[in-house]
Formats: sequence, structure tokens, C-alpha cells
Amino acid sequence: MEQILANGLYLGAQYALIALGLTLIFALMNVLNFAHGQMYVLGGFVTYTVYAQLGLPFIVGLFASALTLAIVGALIEKFLFRPVIRRSSREESTMLLAAGIAFFLDAVILLVFGEKQRGVPKIVNGVLNWDFRLIMPYDRILIGFLAILAIVSFILFMQYSKTGRAMRALAQDRVAAQLQGVNVDRYSMIGFALGAMLAGLVGGLLVTITGVNLGMGGPTSIKAFMMVMIGGAGVISGAIAGGFILGMMESIGLSVLSQYGDITYLAIFASLMVFLAIRPQGLMGKPWG
Amino acid sequence: MKRNQIFALAAFLFVVLIGVPWLIQVTGRWDFYYTLTSVALLSIASAGVWLTFYIGRINIGQGAYALAGGYFSAILVTKLGVSFWLALPLAGIFTAVVSIFIGWPILRLRGVYFAMVTLVLTEVARLTALAMPVTNGAKGITSIPLPSGIASLENTKLGFYYVAVALMILVFAAMYRLVNSRIGHLCRSLQQNEELASSIGVNITYLRIIAYSISSFFGGIAGAMFVAISQSIYPSSFQVADSVNFMLNCFLGGLGYVFGPMLGTLVLYFGWDLLFQTGKLQLLIYSSLLILLMLVLPNGLLSIRLSSLFGDRK
Amino acid sequence: MSPILEVKNLTKKYGGLTAVNDVSFEVSEREILSVIGPNGAGKSTLFKLISSFVKPTSGEVLFRGKRISGLLPHHVARMGVVRTFQETTIFKSMTVRENVIVSHHLRSKASLWGYFLGSGRAREDEEAFARSADEILGFLGLDDIANEVASNLPQGHLRALGIAIGLATNPTILLLDEPFAGMNHDETMRTVELVRNVRDRGVTVLLVEHDMPAVMKISDRIVVINFGQKIAEGSPVEIQQNEKVIEAYLGSEDDAIGI
Repeated sequence: MEQILANGLYLGAQYALIALGLTLIFALMNVLNFAHGQMYVLGGFVTYTVYAQLGLPFIVGLFASALTLAIVGALIEKFLFRPVIRRSSREESTMLLAAGIAFFLDAVILLVFGEKQRGVPKIVNGVLNWDFRLIMPYDRILIGFLAILAIVSFILFMQYSKTGRAMRALAQDRVAAQLQGVNVDRYSMIGFALGAMLAGLVGGLLVTITGVNLGMGGPTSIKAFMMVMIGGAGVISGAIAGGFILGMMESIGLSVLSQYGDITYLAIFASLMVFLAIRPQGLMGKPWG
Repeated sequence: MKRNQIFALAAFLFVVLIGVPWLIQVTGRWDFYYTLTSVALLSIASAGVWLTFYIGRINIGQGAYALAGGYFSAILVTKLGVSFWLALPLAGIFTAVVSIFIGWPILRLRGVYFAMVTLVLTEVARLTALAMPVTNGAKGITSIPLPSGIASLENTKLGFYYVAVALMILVFAAMYRLVNSRIGHLCRSLQQNEELASSIGVNITYLRIIAYSISSFFGGIAGAMFVAISQSIYPSSFQVADSVNFMLNCFLGGLGYVFGPMLGTLVLYFGWDLLFQTGKLQLLIYSSLLILLMLVLPNGLLSIRLSSLFGDRK
Repeated sequence: MSPILEVKNLTKKYGGLTAVNDVSFEVSEREILSVIGPNGAGKSTLFKLISSFVKPTSGEVLFRGKRISGLLPHHVARMGVVRTFQETTIFKSMTVRENVIVSHHLRSKASLWGYFLGSGRAREDEEAFARSADEILGFLGLDDIANEVASNLPQGHLRALGIAIGLATNPTILLLDEPFAGMNHDETMRTVELVRNVRDRGVTVLLVEHDMPAVMKISDRIVVINFGQKIAEGSPVEIQQNEKVIEAYLGSEDDAIGI
């Protein structure tokens, strides 16, 4: 029991961090970022390069991942999404653009890093063993702790900084925010950069546990979509809730359902469908439509 | 039908049924049969996606139904010894029935929400195929016998080509009829305003499910046909990228035009094939072109949505 | 004469907020009844309750003695209770004529298969709908612009198109949601005339509105609500002299009682 709970918490923290980035971008720009998983993978490869290839400290790799993705995110917003959003009226066109960007990032990752699975040396050795009721390697504990730290700092940033408040205003009501003098272009860019940065950060964190490979992008995006739908699209608390719920469900599923084969995700999806039938706007989303 | 429509249809039939085989005969490019057969089948699946667009839903889950249809027919043929020609329509019916159960809750969602859920569906289908004993996990189902009739042909490629093209013509004829009948108008009413549609007495839930199950039927038969050609199916035979491509085919061909998915599939598939020569750069160039297209024509592909079908009235 | 529509003790609560509180009234056949009230009085919630787009917390709406609250909107429409929408809700990328033709859905006799295969009944339907659509367009003075794409129409025409869509369903009672909103004097007078003509076709009209002069002109009877409660009911003359009504309207700043 304790083991399942701890695994769920650890997974949930990573997931929540991914979902936060996705939901932030959605809330600010009404863009469904298909390329989120690819950004995560890119983050993983950057940390891999800095930490495993160049031999610099892990924390440097983590910062490099976050910084790289923030820059990539800002550029994508400024030069791709902004002009397309400005000139098109339908949400489908940003979806297509996002799909194109996902393919593009895949291609770049393929060219630069190849398609092999990459791993990095362990950052901390040893395993916590609490009476065999809870067994967890120290590096997982550290990564889980860092993820939670990142979530807390993100919430504090959104609550108390000027930038965070401006972005929340923008997410709530674009027009009203504009009237209050919020620079929409600027904060959309910062928001996109921040969302991409979070994806890169998780990539950098998780590369120490699971390694990284090209094929992880798509499935990661899909998990992020599920979390966002559970919690309610565009809601920060929802993304966090969705992340932890999915982490917990996966952890429970993997231990309880394992004897029936790998049907955890089938079960999760089935329950998601039932849930959405009852509550289409997710746990904390606003009712719509 | 108007006279020029009959002429266009005759020209089209002549080209695909006589012109193409003749050209291939002359040039000796037998590999083109496979390419064109694929285009025909992919455009059937894309036609389904297009139909869901027509009721106002962005469907990125067609890969799931292609996979389900493929597995269903493969299992019927290999495990139960059913003839492929029976398994093919059964696969379509199977996926249509499955889509009713899935569609009932999720069709209430709109916009990006529906898109997200359908995308997740594709991934879930893959994971299900991996997990279930009857689908044989990652090893998939292989050495599926060729359909009777085609197996005895000297040139199986030509046989498959004719079957695929015939299926495509049937599907698009049905789509054309559907869209130009009153049902098409009702679908458009749904696409444009569901609340108003229900206030004029349209049972929107029912109509949505009908359209979605037809769409999934197309996905199912396309998948089953593919499996018959490749004689194998794996959980990765249809995945998220395929679902996204079906959507792209529709967008590229134009959402307002019934034959759009056919055109879009042709252009995208051939474009992708042509880029094959660029080797490692294939995906990079392909995606760059896609992005560039969106930058240059953010509405271009989409703005032909409905006005091209009824454009002469503007 | 027995009432065609009965609103009985209708109440709707959103969380702690009571939007509509124990409202009852009756509508007789072939009358024009208006529901008025200051902004935020609960008019539009009441409207959604009657057209069954929203379920009441308690109370019910009866149409010819049958309960319609809680039914799906298309069922209610099938029974003959049809609503129009406030914000010029139409099928935007269809032409005016297509809008009206498609709205004949409730009169169709052929099945979906019939339409797909082009059965005789389907063809009869198509012809009948086209004829009826042209008649309705002529009746509402929309025949000149029948082939315009609806999204290009000016506002006055859009409102008329909304009514045309409603009429196409062959309603027994037509619910109009603020038919005069955003109109200038001339447009309002034309629409008043139009609504009268609709009634003269034998359709009962219930409208929710806050344009007082128009309401006074058009209505046989008026129901006034404020803070979700009914505060008066009667003929236009009675309503104009009702103290509670005057008070309610004086209490709110921007609406002055008309005439």
C-alpha cells in the first residue's frame, strides 16, 4: 500500500509538472500544444548531453534543459503561433500548426541525437528500504522532491509575481486584461516559454530515471492531454490534480491489474470516458458549451 | 447529375481503372500499384474523418478504428477461417458498433476537448492490442492468408489495386450522396449550431452517433483491407501519427469538398514518397513545408471549408 | 378556454442563488403574452426553463396538460413548443433559404435511409419543404434575399430569419427571446407587425423582452417579474398603472417605463 502510494506520488509530481505547462499554454492562447511531448524529449536530451556527454554537474544540465526549452518556446510563439493566430479564426489551424511543430521537433531530435535510447549515470546511489513496506531508490526520491519543489515555485510565481498575476488575468479574460493594460503579446510569449520550460525541466529530471528516446514524445503528449482533461483544461489546480490522479491510477493499475496483462491504460481510458460523460468540463474546469 | 459531372466521373473512372494500369504496364513501375492502393485506402479512412468534421468535430482517433478493423478481420480470417470477403464488411460493422459505445459519451465534447479524447483513443487502441491475448501482443498477427480470389491471381498487386479503388469509389459515392441529401444539410446544421439544431427538432445525439459510426465504419474497412495486403498486423500498424495524418489529409484537401480527403491523401502521400529520396531529411522537410503552409495560408486550406461546395451562390 | 401552456410554481436555483422563484402563469391559445422585467430579473432563465433547455429545481411547465420540463429540447420542439434565440442564432454559412428548408425537419416523413436513397417520400418532402420555405420567406418579406449567405445579413433581417426558422418547424407556440433587442424604432415597428402576423397564422406567441414600448404595443397580456418573482400580471393598461411595476422599474436606473 505504502509502495503504491509513494510510486503514485512520485509519478504524479512529474505528470503534474508536464500538465501544468500544457494547461498554461492552453489557458493563455487557447492552443493545444501537440508538441509538448517532443519538448519534454528535447529537454531530456539536453540534460543527457550536458550531464552524461560533457560531464558537467546534473544541476547544470537541468538548467540548460529549462533554458533551451524556454528559448525554443518563446521563438515558436513569436514566429509561428502569433502570426497564425492573428490571421486565422479557427482553432483547427493552430492545431495543425502544433502538429507540424511536433513532427518538426521529432525530425530535429532524430537528426541531432539519433533514435537510440539514452541513459545517464545515476545521480545518487542507494535505495531507501523501510522494512520492505516501501522500497525506493534515493534518486527517485530526489527527483520527486525536485518536481514538487518546481510545482510549488510555479504556483508561488503565478500567485505573487507581477508576471504571474498578469498571466492569470490574461487567462481569465483576454479582452479585459488588454483593457487593463496587460501586454498580451509579451505575456503570451512568456507563458509559452514558461510552459515549454516546464516540459523541458521534467525531461531533464526524468532522464535520470527512465532515460530518453525519440519515441517518448507522442505518448507523453497523450498522457498530458488525459491529465488536463481530468482536471479541466486551462485550470492550474486542475492540471495538478489531474497529474496526481493519473500518477496514482497508473501506480495502482500497474500493481493491481498487472496479472491481467497491460490493461491499465485501457481501464484508465474507460474510466475517463465515464467521467467525461458525467462531467465534460473536468474536475475543476468551468462549464462550457 | 449535370452533364459535366457525368463527364468528370467518366474521366476519373477511365484514368483509375484503365489509364493507371496501362501507364504502369508501359513504364514498368509496378511499385506504384502499392502506392496508389495505399492512397485509395488511406483516403477511405480520411473520408471518415472528414465526415466527423462535417458534424463539427475534429477527429484524431481514426487510427484506433483502422487498427480495430484490421485486428478484427485478421482474427476472423486466421482463427475462425472466415473468408476475407465476409470479414471485410464485418470489420466495418464491428468498428461501427464499438464507435457507438465510445461516441455516446465523448461526442458531447466539442472543439479541442473532443480532439484530445480521440487522440487518446488512438493510443489506447494500441495499448489494448499490446495487452490482449487474442491480438498476440507485440508479435502481432502474421502470415495471414491472401483473400481467396486474389490469391489465385497472377498479379496480386493489380488485384488489390482494383479492389481498393472499387472500395474507394463506393465510399466516396456514398459520401457524395449523403452530403448532398437532406442528411448532409442536417449535418451542416449540427456543425454550425447544435443548440439551434436541437431547437428545430433535430435529435442531435442520434445524428452525431450515426455520422460517427459511419466514419468509424470507413476506418474499419480501410484497416481490414490494409491487413489483407500486408498479410500482417501489429499494434503499431496504425498509431497516433496516422491519426494525425488522416486529419491533415482532410485539411489539405479542403473541408468543404467531399472529394477533399481523396485529393489531400494523394498529395500528402506522394509528397512524402517523393521526399523519401532526401533520406534522413525527409521528416524535417515534410514538417517544415507543413509549418510554412500554415504560415502562408493560415486560412487558405480551411477557408475553402464550405464555400467551395456552395461557392457559386456567393 | 383551457390554457395551452401552464407554468406552475417554477423555481430554479444556481448554488445559493435563486434565479427564478415560484413563478406561475398561464398562456391561452393564440394570444401574445410577454414576460418583462428589469435586467437581471431572471427573464432569460425563465425562458430557458420554459423551452426546456434548463431543468427546473422545482415546479413544472405543462403544454396541453402534459409535462414538458425535463424533456430534451428536440422532444419539446416535436410537441410544438419552439424557441428562437437571443443572439441572432442562425446557421451562418447556409443561405437564407437553406436555413429555412433545413428547419422543416419536424415535418419530414421520410427516414434517414429514405433521404440517402432518394425515396419517393423523401422527394415529396423536399418539394414540400421548398414550397413551404418560399411561402414563409414571402410572408416575412425575406424572398428578395433568399439566396444570400446568412452571415452577410443585416441585423433586422437576421431577427426575421430567426422567426422564419421557428415558423418552419410548424410550432403551436413560439417562444421569442428578446426579439426587439438592439433594434431602432423603425425596425422594432416592423418586427411588431411581423409578430402580430405570426399570431394571425394561428401561432401562440410568448416573448421575453425589455423594450417596454414595443411590449405595450404588441401584447395581449403581460407578466412582470423582478428578482425572480412574479410581481404583476395583466393587460398592458393594467401593467402601466401597477404600482409595484413602476417601483421595480424606477428602482433600476436605465429602463424607463414606456409610452
